[in-house]
Amino acid sequence: MTGETVFAYYVKLALGSMRRNPVMTGLTVAAIAVGIGISMTTLTVHYLMSGNPIPAKSDVLFAVTLDSWSPLRPFDEDRPERAPHQLTFRDAEALVRLAEGRRQTAMFESSLIIEPPGDEELPFEAGARVTYADFFPMFDVPFLYGGGWDRSADESAEPVVVLGRKLNERLFGGRDSVGERIRMQGRSFTVVGVIDTWEPTPRFYDPINGGFQDVMDMFIPFSLTRVLELNSVGSDWGWKPERINSFEQWLNSESSWIQYFVELDSPLERNDYLAHLDAYVAEQKKLGRFERPMNNHVYDVMEWMEYHEVVEDDARVLVMLSFLFLVVCVLSTVALLLTKFTGKKGEISVRRALGASRRAIFRQQLVEVAVVGFTGGLFGLALAWCGLQGIDYLYDTPDGLTRLGWVMILTAVAISVASGVLAGLYPAWRACRIQPAAQLKTQ
Amino acid sequence: MGFRPMISSLLRNKTGPLLVTLQIAVTLAIVINSLFIIVQRVEKMNRDPGIDVANVIVVDVRGFGADFDVQDSVERDIALLKSMPGVVAATVTNHVPLSGSGSGTGLRAVADETIAPVGTARYRWSEEGLEALGIELARGRNFLPAEVDFILPDSEPPAPPSVLVTQALANDLFGDEDALGKTVYWGDMQGSTIVGIIAHMHGSWVNWDKLGNVVIQPGKPLFTSNRYLVRTEPGLRDGLVPVIETKLGELNRRRVVKTVRTLEDMAANSYRQDRGMAIVLSIVITLLICLMVLVIAGLSSYHVTQRRRQIGTRRALGATRMHIIREFLLENWLISAAGAALGAVLTVAVAWWLEVSFQLSPLDWRYLPAGVLLLWIVSSLAVFEPARRAASVPPAVATRSA
Repeated sequence: MTGETVFAYYVKLALGSMRRNPVMTGLTVAAIAVGIGISMTTLTVHYLMSGNPIPAKSDVLFAVTLDSWSPLRPFDEDRPERAPHQLTFRDAEALVRLAEGRRQTAMFESSLIIEPPGDEELPFEAGARVTYADFFPMFDVPFLYGGGWDRSADESAEPVVVLGRKLNERLFGGRDSVGERIRMQGRSFTVVGVIDTWEPTPRFYDPINGGFQDVMDMFIPFSLTRVLELNSVGSDWGWKPERINSFEQWLNSESSWIQYFVELDSPLERNDYLAHLDAYVAEQKKLGRFERPMNNHVYDVMEWMEYHEVVEDDARVLVMLSFLFLVVCVLSTVALLLTKFTGKKGEISVRRALGASRRAIFRQQLVEVAVVGFTGGLFGLALAWCGLQGIDYLYDTPDGLTRLGWVMILTAVAISVASGVLAGLYPAWRACRIQPAAQLKTQ
Repeated sequence: MGFRPMISSLLRNKTGPLLVTLQIAVTLAIVINSLFIIVQRVEKMNRDPGIDVANVIVVDVRGFGADFDVQDSVERDIALLKSMPGVVAATVTNHVPLSGSGSGTGLRAVADETIAPVGTARYRWSEEGLEALGIELARGRNFLPAEVDFILPDSEPPAPPSVLVTQALANDLFGDEDALGKTVYWGDMQGSTIVGIIAHMHGSWVNWDKLGNVVIQPGKPLFTSNRYLVRTEPGLRDGLVPVIETKLGELNRRRVVKTVRTLEDMAANSYRQDRGMAIVLSIVITLLICLMVLVIAGLSSYHVTQRRRQIGTRRALGATRMHIIREFLLENWLISAAGAALGAVLTVAVAWWLEVSFQLSPLDWRYLPAGVLLLWIVSSLAVFEPARRAASVPPAVATRSA
């Protein structure tokens, strides 16, 4: 027989043996399936949480922090080495002005009232990321129609807007709306672009307001903040008692509420950029601000994810417990297979007596456990899919976090076949040690 | 029938029992640690918030346009809400307890900015605020209507003369001393007098260890977005939600009614992660125990089938049915006991790892005997049916050929 037909013959033998022992086979398959199902569910969530959301650029995009906090105590008493994770409005604006040709953006989340034309639809509120023109090329944002706005729109505070796909669907039925106008906050905005589905997971550019939220409904220029008196819907942190009685006073306050990202040409430029930040802070110290010791930092994307602990502890605990679960399943599988092979002593003796070599018996047993493992893996994948739907329902996660991607499917199949074979090695070895004569005697 | 033949049979066929022992041990480690986490999460979710969560509705509105008069709008909204049958009380507020979003500040018992302030959640609402949330005032008095002013947007008024604090915050500030009538100092070193003490209420962030620290300032905040707290008579909440949505919407077209939600839903959302973890772990435990039962039952019945002749012989030689059942149960108990011993070590190791890596609380030792007992009962039940079947093997089997 050629190798291929031998394999086919072994698979046939395996299927026959599985059918002869339906209860034991069912139990074995179920044990593998449940183990794979549980561990794949938790592993998928963990994998997506800890994934690199922008692999091509994660080492050249940096989040910026400046230590403008109180001279009396650090921003985070538990981690005194850290600066506040957001900038004050005045520092963010100043850094953009000192860009020196680098791509960078200050940003925050706000919300605006959209007034649809006519009286039929009521005005409604929509979320907006208030940012700079550089946001779109920096973060590789994909566009469906049009594109981002020009840097000139940043300077002149032009009322332009880039719509998210969902909002474009609600307002314009999903058609190309570039050039259309929308009335928001009593002003007329021009649509310059519509972004395509964009779900970086985690949402690396703003882990502060949640690493796993949906992308904002729209994007508008940062320079409109002053014109429209836009408030942040995200968090703001302050330490200085300041009397604030106007929006301008708020913008000039020591409150930290602006997120800041810069793109460098290479990771090597990091220290140059830090020196640039230190120089800025040194200037500010002369004005009586930044009373703490120099403590400015930049974090690349993955460091920034680590900083904000975007992978929930619960997710790690679940991965750990579910892999112990998989261990239990493998142990059960070994016990079940061993028992089953003991029951097949007669059959194996006959095959050995008829000339089958130990190696052939061993191979045939391994094919059988691989088939069992593979079947268990398929059922396990189905279970994992159900598990992810359950997680989605329980945690109300955004779409990105519970996708069973190809990587995870292949991982699942690999793990199930591997654990099946691992579980089968010892029983198969035991099976091939069976003496041909010893068993035949008692028959 | 003594232990010796059983042990010698176990030793002769040691791989199978060893595997089951290992399975029981790992199962025990997972079950006990998961159970401990579940109980902690459930206890956390069941804490008394000190608020009548079941009967409170939260309304979010937002005005727009240059001619929008926020004070007039808020006054008319509150008047309309209070005129609705079934509404007990209503107030405008800056934030909503248990919602996950709020405002925090630091207070001091003395006007010295070098000492560390005590962290607390801060709310600002009218004299109807306590009634609107069903919060109990332990001592002192509520705000007087004269103390409650409108607070305009982008304005930081001077510190209010009177505030309410929770007992928990009072304890953090003043220790055993009576806080009523004492002065607390804000970041700018202005003082406010504590006029009332709230027995107990939760603030905004359910995962914060100082959840019970709350200070309340009198005032009606007027922001671009405004929030109302509405308390209804018991049972009328769900009927009132759509009524509020329509009536408020009709009242003013220059103001968007963003959301009308129940406080119960908002609180449930804040605890979503804890509930999710408890449910996922419960499913894991259930599957694990089912798997253990099926494997033990499956292996035992297989052994019964294999040992039919041996059992028949023993029965023929005078062993009673009870003997046979006891033998199977004893064999199972021996394996369980070994599994429990190994499992206890594993359990403590896993608990230690969870404690060190994730700052989980140290495992309560009582879970260990409870978990062992649970698995012992379950594994005995799993082996009982096969054992009963073994006992019903007639002695005559011994005489038949295989």
